[in-house]
Amino acid sequence: MLIAFFLAGASCASSEENLSPVLEEPSSIDNNPKLVLTVPENFPELTYDTSLNAPTMKGFELGKMLFYDGRLSSDGVVSCGFCHMQDFAFTHHSHIVSHGVNGAIGTRNAPPLHNLAFLNSFNWDGVVTHLDLQPVIPITAEVEMNETFGGIIQKLKKDPEYVDMFDAAFENNKIDAENILKALSQFMIMITSSNSKFDKIEREEGAVFTDQEAAGFTLFNTHCASCHKGTLFTDQSFRNNGLPIDEKYNDIGRSRISGLPQDRYKFRVPNLRNIELTFPYMHDGRFGTLEAVLEHYTSGMVDSGTIDPLFKNDDGHLGLPLTPDEQQQIIAFLKTLTDDQLLNDSRFAEF
Amino acid sequence: MKKTIYLFLSLVVLGLYACDDEDTDTTTKPGTLDIEFNNTINGEGITMDTKTYTNAGKEGFIVSELKYIVSNIVLIKKDGGEVAYPVADSYFVIDENDSKRILLKDIQAGEYTKVKFGIGVDQSKYPLNGVANFIPTAEEKGMLWSWSAGYKFLKFEGTFSTETIEDEKFVMHIGTHGTTQDNYKEVTLDLPSVLTIGEDVSPSLEVEADILKVFDGTNTIELSTKSDIQVDPVNAPKIAENLTAMFEAVNISN
Ligand code: HEC
Ligand code: HEC
Repeated sequence: MLIAFFLAGASCASSEENLSPVLEEPSSIDNNPKLVLTVPENFPELTYDTSLNAPTMKGFELGKMLFYDGRLSSDGVVSCGFCHMQDFAFTHHSHIVSHGVNGAIGTRNAPPLHNLAFLNSFNWDGVVTHLDLQPVIPITAEVEMNETFGGIIQKLKKDPEYVDMFDAAFENNKIDAENILKALSQFMIMITSSNSKFDKIEREEGAVFTDQEAAGFTLFNTHCASCHKGTLFTDQSFRNNGLPIDEKYNDIGRSRISGLPQDRYKFRVPNLRNIELTFPYMHDGRFGTLEAVLEHYTSGMVDSGTIDPLFKNDDGHLGLPLTPDEQQQIIAFLKTLTDDQLLNDSRFAEF
Repeated sequence: MKKTIYLFLSLVVLGLYACDDEDTDTTTKPGTLDIEFNNTINGEGITMDTKTYTNAGKEGFIVSELKYIVSNIVLIKKDGGEVAYPVADSYFVIDENDSKRILLKDIQAGEYTKVKFGIGVDQSKYPLNGVANFIPTAEEKGMLWSWSAGYKFLKFEGTFSTETIEDEKFVMHIGTHGTTQDNYKEVTLDLPSVLTIGEDVSPSLEVEADILKVFDGTNTIELSTKSDIQVDPVNAPKIAENLTAMFEAVNISN
């Protein structure tokens, strides 16, 4: 704080150039180094504006502590990490749709949390347009953490460890909603998945596809990559991939937020990184295996009115023409998207 | 490099603040402004829960809940110069059953002729500085939409009756949803007389909100056509537009 005042005073009196020498001072005194969010060579530009919330070591540590803290929920047990487990690329293992406090059941499957700093919108229907706001949903939703921000702030303020951590992480030292959300984002945006076999091949770092994987990659580019596009494996658009409507949930997808009939049953094209581990699949987790997914794309589709035109064939058949062998080849390719380095990265680990 | 720029920027900002304070005329220190929102129907204050009112469509209605968000307050001088209240502190819930007052502090001294404010939260500009700190207030007031992490700009509920319908519930929750529906609006009101802000005065401004305009503004809304208006791409924008014609600055007192 003192430093800030000193600098403010100085900036009135002096010109821009002679300010530069003192610029490096604050961070070294703070002992809170900025973290570098590296954009891998084969990745697009960041969508998260780090100039508004620059990740720092203390901010990241605080974000991680919050992410794994059950006190963010009303029952003191369900943390973010409860539904987003690192071993499964931060998805909810074994549950079809996510469970929250008191065993309450949500209606959707938890997506993986990686490469979030490159996305334009969040959730299966894109209802959230900024990562900083995403945690508001699970924290306040009855079927998830069932808490209030007012309640969390009170709990955290009583804990001396948190008081110190907020103090170290943020210049205004405050335990408030904004800093809670910023810290969570600082943790989440650092989770980049970019070291799969696929990446190492794309960046020409010495890895090579097997014949099976190579054949799968070619097929993937022909049949899947128009939606599961580029290094992120999603064009981030909202589409209907021909899933039969599940009467139990009747999840209308994108239409829930636009209210438009033409958006019914459309969901965000999910990224496919670490797909080997993020089972079960689809917005409601209806498929347990990649084999079942590929079978769906080949022969399981129905037209609920808004099916993507890409899946319509001249003969009236819905789906992609893939032989069982070809399906296996695509699955072999999809498994090259597993990023063991991320799954074992101790920076993100709960313990 | 990035780090340097970031630090430099924050420095410039801090610097500006510091300089600004020195630049402003030290003889006229900043002052306060009390804004009172007065919700009316037919020119009178609203009696909640019991009194039946009638809209232009001849629908009788009783109000049980009436809340809206006012944000981004800006005072405008005669020469057009704008003084924006700090955005981070500029989110308020006006609640017919509770507080309808906004107390603004540390406003630059001067003479103002217009006031501008937002109805709702400008979600197109996320992340807005400080908007997250409005969450606990919005939460407490039931103005937070948990499922979308968004805000209800207007929450208007009650019952209505027509010749054929008796005491049916109506619900209007108007807000912005993702990038698909943006219902945030701004209004600029002419002040009835010059508003003087300064150290020695503590003015209050009365803003009247004619609630019938929700139904009968630029657009006509009939509850018998639709009584539950929430994520509604047709009616929600119409109501949001109606809200912009609802306010009038009626009185300034010192
Ligand atoms: C009860 C299980 C559960 C808990 C607890 C939970 N989440 Fe989630 N998370 C989900 C589900 C389910 C979705 C998808 C929701 C949807 O699409 O409507 C999701 C979506 C997300 C997304 C969007 C990912 C994307 O690709 O769009 C982020 C980010 C996220 N959660 C972070 C968090 C954080 C941070 C917390 C803790 C504050 C948290 N989650 C707590 C289940 C949970
Ligand atoms: C027209 C666009 C489109 C095409 C082409 C397409 N997909 Fe999808 N894919 C989607 C959408 C949309 C979803 C999410 C659907 C849902 O959950 O409702 C999805 C979901 C998936 C999932 C589940 C991901 C998860 O995290 O649950 C997998 C796996 C998948 N697709 C693989 C493929 C493969 C392999 C191909 C090519 C054979 C393919 N997709 C072609 C749009 C497409």
